[in-house]
Amino acid sequence: MGANRREQTTRCTRRKAHALLAATVHTVRLIAPILALVLALLAALSFDAPLPPADLVIVERSDCFTLDPQRMSYQHELRRARVLFEGLVNLRASDCAIIPGVAERWEVSSDGLVYTFYLRADAKWSNGEPVTSHDFAYAWRRAILPDTAADYSGLFLSIRGAKRFFEARSAQLITLAKGCDAQIAADAWSATETDFRRNVGINTPDDHTFIVSLDHPVHYFLDLCAFPCFSPVPAATVEQFVSLDPQSGRVSQRHGWTKPGAIVTNGAYVPTVWRYKRDMRLEQNPYYWNQSAVRAKSIDCRTIENANTAVLSYESGAADWLTDLGPEYKTEMLAQRRTYLERFKGDVDAGLAHGELLDEIVGALPPPRSGERRDLRGFDAFGTDFFSFNCRDAMPGGAVNVFHDKRVRRAFALAVDKQALIDRVTRLGERVASTLVPPGSITDYPIVEGLGYDSTRARAELAAAGYEDRDGDGIVENAKGEKFPTVDILYSTASPRYQNLAMAMRDMWRRELRVAAECRGKDAKLYKEDLKKGNFMIARGGWYGDYGDPTTWLDLQRTGNGNNDRGYSNPEFDAMLDAADAELDPKARLAKLAACEKWLFTEESPLLPLCNYVTVYMYDPSKVTGMTDHPRLEQDLSILTRRTQQATP
Amino acid sequence: MSTQSTSVVALIARRLVQLPFIVLAVYTLTFLLAWSIPGNPLENPDGRRPPAEIVEAMKKQYKLDDPVAFYFDYLGKATSISWVLGYSDQPFDLGPSLKQPDWTVNEILATGLPVSMTLGLSAMLIALTIGLTAGVIGGLNPGSPLDGFTQLLAIIGISLPSFVIGSAMLMLFAVKLGLFPVGGWGGVSYIVLPAFTLSLPFAAYISRLVRFGMIEEMSADHIRTARAKGLPRWKVALKHALKNAFLPVLSYLGPATAVALTGSFVVEKVFAVPGIGQHFVDGVLGKDITLVMGVVLVYSTLMVVFNLVVDVMYRFVDPRLG
Repeated sequence: MGANRREQTTRCTRRKAHALLAATVHTVRLIAPILALVLALLAALSFDAPLPPADLVIVERSDCFTLDPQRMSYQHELRRARVLFEGLVNLRASDCAIIPGVAERWEVSSDGLVYTFYLRADAKWSNGEPVTSHDFAYAWRRAILPDTAADYSGLFLSIRGAKRFFEARSAQLITLAKGCDAQIAADAWSATETDFRRNVGINTPDDHTFIVSLDHPVHYFLDLCAFPCFSPVPAATVEQFVSLDPQSGRVSQRHGWTKPGAIVTNGAYVPTVWRYKRDMRLEQNPYYWNQSAVRAKSIDCRTIENANTAVLSYESGAADWLTDLGPEYKTEMLAQRRTYLERFKGDVDAGLAHGELLDEIVGALPPPRSGERRDLRGFDAFGTDFFSFNCRDAMPGGAVNVFHDKRVRRAFALAVDKQALIDRVTRLGERVASTLVPPGSITDYPIVEGLGYDSTRARAELAAAGYEDRDGDGIVENAKGEKFPTVDILYSTASPRYQNLAMAMRDMWRRELRVAAECRGKDAKLYKEDLKKGNFMIARGGWYGDYGDPTTWLDLQRTGNGNNDRGYSNPEFDAMLDAADAELDPKARLAKLAACEKWLFTEESPLLPLCNYVTVYMYDPSKVTGMTDHPRLEQDLSILTRRTQQATP
Repeated sequence: MSTQSTSVVALIARRLVQLPFIVLAVYTLTFLLAWSIPGNPLENPDGRRPPAEIVEAMKKQYKLDDPVAFYFDYLGKATSISWVLGYSDQPFDLGPSLKQPDWTVNEILATGLPVSMTLGLSAMLIALTIGLTAGVIGGLNPGSPLDGFTQLLAIIGISLPSFVIGSAMLMLFAVKLGLFPVGGWGGVSYIVLPAFTLSLPFAAYISRLVRFGMIEEMSADHIRTARAKGLPRWKVALKHALKNAFLPVLSYLGPATAVALTGSFVVEKVFAVPGIGQHFVDGVLGKDITLVMGVVLVYSTLMVVFNLVVDVMYRFVDPRLG
């Protein structure tokens, strides 16, 4: 009996244990995949731990496309390149003056054709190797070679023999592409190398002397030497990523050398982390010769493409500087800054009268009240917003192009009330422009005025071109009774700014000139195609200057210039530019260029300048110092810094 | 049991045979679409224009002047056939990005894919947790105020676009309350807001699936039997009813996870999460053909695999399919 009960109890316990086991297995089977998922997530996260805080955090709206200084062409890339690769000379951010870089001194021959640079002995790459003249020669050759496809190769073509060398190699590549093998490619390359050494005006007599001979005097050549595309690259490192393509004969470059770990720089910083469209960490280069001038030890450059998120990121206190304030509500934010400055108008005016910098004055003022702001600032940029007239002889289909007549172009330019556009459409308080070169951006270059707003004269110009409203139907006709063709205004839909501008100008032209006009918005790529084909009458344009000389603007109108979307061609204008180039006296040359610009924008009017762009930064002057307000806006990341706690009132 | 494993092996084998054909079809279609995007990817929208010779030479280098050559060259390199035959020095070579010359598509995928995976899977976990809880609560008390409330939440979750919810959450939790960072990646705190935002539509859908399943199941015969045996209501609901009510969720999980991984670009943009979705959209807008093709190839392969995994799991959970 007792044994039986014990057996029963045991069986019962065993059954219970079985049930428990089954339940556990069942539960584990259900939970296991979720548990595995959680563990996988945790593992993934632990590999992706945040970086330690940096001395300075910058938010950009776009990542660098490349860190190869010879191939870059975007402003934010060039800004970063300036602190990674140091050229022969540097631009001082505060006034854009030329100051020594890798070259501690230089000489210019009396005819302005030969530049001799003496490189400092303590200039080093971030791997401790010295920076030599050969690194410069190697980098410049890369930039000129058509194989590299540098956007800015054109800037090098004033070097003696460079243009011929570029054309010869281009022709050679075309021949090679028709039939090539490894041997032919190698022979062609060796001939190219010899050609460069013998015939291009770049000489390296020793490791620390670099001599450049020019075809003709280039008055802004030192300014070019400060441009990142003229920076050296570490030849030894880059060579490891270069190969000759046996099929095309081209020198092909892999870009692994720009990645942290491989990249070697000679500037203030070295990138130690670069995660695609996420962030880049710059750490101070321990071998940089001028380390004492470098403020932040480390800089975190984050990419936040979404305009609103970028602002929120700044607002959350995570960033010191947001380089491009994007959202449309920036107009309202700028108004809040104006309210703040209005309250302290006396202090600001007094400080400015004493020659203090605006940021210093604003940074020392009491903090803003609700509804006020001081953590953003709009700067007039080294760029001009304009609309292009199609100046070609005829439209693409062969139709008559009324805008080939400069009187018609002048009429359309005179009929636009730019101040009204700025007040009601763009709303960033931009400065009205009637010419291309932004005032004050180039030392010693005078302010040049083009055509203003004058509707009476606009109608007179159109009448002089033969167009008047003869039948009283509200649309102008020529003497034959043919109506003025419907004006086709092309803009890119990439930003609402251009749609709004195009519509506002369409209405102004309809009203002032009595013409029919229609806007045609196109996606950025299609817009660009139409622009290149000349398939427009009036089209959205815009330009940012590259270097500190009026030619960075005026050359745009040269016959055959690659960026001359207007198809404008006037031998008289080309001759005026050539004459100015031949002038050796810098002041007289600038005066000639100014006359050239004046004539272009009062007589020829190939394009209609609207205003200078305004770039809006978000940063708090009471927390960050080192920002320049020089019109070229060449911000130097190595002198930006947070104010120390003690300095903050 | 043995028939079940045989059929599972057969299923896997069948899907693996189908895989190359599916991927080839997707590759061809994507290629046609990507090639028809106007413009030259090597040109910068706002940048300086290089001389015409350079533009032509660059197009030649990347085979952008010849669609047929590009199609086969890329296919050969991406599938490693070129590598096997010795024409290429790297297997699974998805080429250089046309827009970002410093990065290869392989590198971009290697940085972006783990991010998108982590985000997508976290979102699915959150979606499951919220969806199941809300669905069970609603399903057990149909018509009650609590049910109405969860259903209202579900409708909001499905219908509000994620850029609205995302921005609102950023404003509230990151800027005003300072609980989470704004934008970026690295660490749990960066994941919470985007994963939650991404999970909402899925959570809403799951909760509706579970709710309907629960209502139906709770009136089924075996549930009544279980209740008659005297089992407590919650035990019946969780142990017997949920098991069957969960089946439609399981079949939804496969495509949903795929959508969470691939369709997260809006959330990635709003929260500045450096995932593949964002890179893919940028690639399409910039006509970065190699990037677009590479992402599509990898994702279509992943999609087939995910569906396979779900189908296999289904067979283990639901014996009727054995």
